[in-house]
Amino acid sequence: MKINFNRREPVYVQVVRHFKQQIAMNMLEPGQEIPSRRELAGELKINPNTVQRAYKEMEEQGLIYTERNLPSKITRNEQVLQVVREELIMDAVDQFVTTVQSVQVPLDEIVTIIKEKYEQTNADKGEEDHD
Amino acid sequence: MIEVNNITKKFGRKQVLKGVTFTAEKGEITCLIGINGVGKTTILNAIMALTPIKKGEILIDGEKLKPKTFNHITFIPDAITVLPQMTITESMQFMKDYYTTWNEERAQELLSFFKLNPEDKIASLSKGNTAKANLLLGLALDVDYILMDEPFSGIDMFSREQIANVFTSHLIEDRGVIITTHEIGDIEHLIDKVVLLDDGVVKKHFYTEEVREAEGKSVIDVMREEYQG
Repeated sequence: MKINFNRREPVYVQVVRHFKQQIAMNMLEPGQEIPSRRELAGELKINPNTVQRAYKEMEEQGLIYTERNLPSKITRNEQVLQVVREELIMDAVDQFVTTVQSVQVPLDEIVTIIKEKYEQTNADKGEEDHD
Repeated sequence: MIEVNNITKKFGRKQVLKGVTFTAEKGEITCLIGINGVGKTTILNAIMALTPIKKGEILIDGEKLKPKTFNHITFIPDAITVLPQMTITESMQFMKDYYTTWNEERAQELLSFFKLNPEDKIASLSKGNTAKANLLLGLALDVDYILMDEPFSGIDMFSREQIANVFTSHLIEDRGVIITTHEIGDIEHLIDKVVLLDDGVVKKHFYTEEVREAEGKSVIDVMREEYQG
């Protein structure tokens, strides 16, 4: 795991966001074990107390769960996983809309551009997969 | 907890500390930041009773400094203090003979963590390896509090990284650490708390995550404001 940290945002918030992205992209699977607090602190080179805070936050949001003394795991709760996915999509769309609105592009035009781009990147990906 | 309450110190006519107050908690890394000559080392020396203070008091876990206190705290100065003709093994033996809190198992672990050769003479070590050997001798003691004076100063980037890794490992876990530095860059994400010193007083005292959360500022942003604003 590697995160490029922004120095002006709480580190624990960035860690939580990173986990959400990994979950939404299926890089972390439901039920998968996550590193211990100390392992992750070592890997990311951050303070173990910060990782503790991030894990506490994720536990409260239902993203991870801990059974007895076993390592914590990614939730299997479909509803939570769905929310994570939606949250990530909404964040990306919000950001996109704010940027695009500031240059005042009509909606139709932007939708067309998105469609083209989407198809183009999908096609590129398809080609790559054939290699 | 280490409590430093309003301590003052003069060297001749020069008032170095003009009433310094801060706390350092167990399980946290507290970083004293200030330019050279601001009194960082003097504060560490005062906590270790290596220099008398004029006014104020220092409490460790609520108690005043007394001989027994020093079984719970260790000071790693910025230069190694064992004899240069000793090998690392001999210097470890020296510490073992001298301190009842020496933990041989942890010492061995630190030796491999830092990839040091125990047969090397202290005098023959590079700057980076000297710094690591110095840390080894301090961290191998089973104490609650560790004071480190400029552990990152004047050494190469890879040694700095290796030393930084100690802070996230179980070798530090649950202990209270005070470190001094004049460059925060490398360790901004490793520390819990910052004490900014200037002109003999504490200018600001804050938790790094709180400043990021409440004000959207990095440690360096706060330093700029405090020192240049």
